[in-house]
Amino acid sequence: MGLLTILKKMKQKEKEVRILMLGLDNAGKTTILKKFIGEDINTISPTLGFNIETVEHRGFKLNIWDVGGQKSLRSYWRNYFESTDGLIWVVDSADKRRLSDCVKELHHLLVEERLAGATLLVFANKQDLPGSLSSEEIKEILDLEGIKTHHWSILPCSAVTGKNLLEGIDWLIDDISSRIFTLD
Amino acid sequence: MAMWGSEMEGVVCGSEDEQRFDEIIGSIQDVLISDEFLNLQQDFMDKYYHVFEDTEENKFIYTDIFQEYNSIFEKYLEMRLTNKLPWFSMEKFAASLTAHKHEICDEIFETLTSFTDFMTFKEMFVDYRAEKDGRNDDLMQGLVVQSLVPTTISVA
Repeated sequence: MGLLTILKKMKQKEKEVRILMLGLDNAGKTTILKKFIGEDINTISPTLGFNIETVEHRGFKLNIWDVGGQKSLRSYWRNYFESTDGLIWVVDSADKRRLSDCVKELHHLLVEERLAGATLLVFANKQDLPGSLSSEEIKEILDLEGIKTHHWSILPCSAVTGKNLLEGIDWLIDDISSRIFTLD
Repeated sequence: MAMWGSEMEGVVCGSEDEQRFDEIIGSIQDVLISDEFLNLQQDFMDKYYHVFEDTEENKFIYTDIFQEYNSIFEKYLEMRLTNKLPWFSMEKFAASLTAHKHEICDEIFETLTSFTDFMTFKEMFVDYRAEKDGRNDDLMQGLVVQSLVPTTISVA
């Protein structure tokens, strides 16, 4: 193991949590991120690379990585798996046409070795839109009950109103910290 | 009690392991301020700074550059340490690092960890680019704005 890897691990012990946020394009990942940290969400354009925000929350330092979700960009996701403690999968609950894509991509991630230790939070986003599916329905479609490899949870949310964003992040931190920081 | 504390700090009574640990830290410090290392860093930044933009969103290529930088830095550091301290073992050092963490001065720890932090890395490049671009602006300004009459005279 190299020196930098060791140093990285030492830093992580200081209650640092790395969260990776993925999902299809236009699911609302960047909007969730910006809303969560209290920034303007009216000028967001499709992400072609990735965004990182670092926030202090409940005594934890959260490093949230939001990577673009367009089809041509998904092959880059793998470069961001390393050391991920929590995976947030964002679903556009109103985009019924692409739900099969969404299921497929999520299940690809769940077999990734480097994400094996990550807690999964699914955000059923865009609940503010008429005709959006409920989180129960999304749960069925994504076959979340069938996941035995990861701790998981799903929450209905709206990045626009901010509904349930904090609740989701809090659940994620609770689950991660109960796994990682209990040894301290 | 204070006397005790200060005396204890000065005493070189550590085990061989501890002395070796101090020697490694000292050598790392030497490497980090050496011209050779600074040139290496400078060359690397010159090669890539034009890729970096002062925008919030990051390009995927930053990640590749970051990984290349990490790898070059780590190999270089290991090479220099092995040259200087023939007994050096990265594995042993890494293990003792965790135990000695609180004895290492913050500055060197920060410097070392900065190599693992992407945002620090990006800022370094964005700052470097601003400096490069800014230097050109300064030259332009120098040509245009320079006045022949000292401004203090017009006050009198």
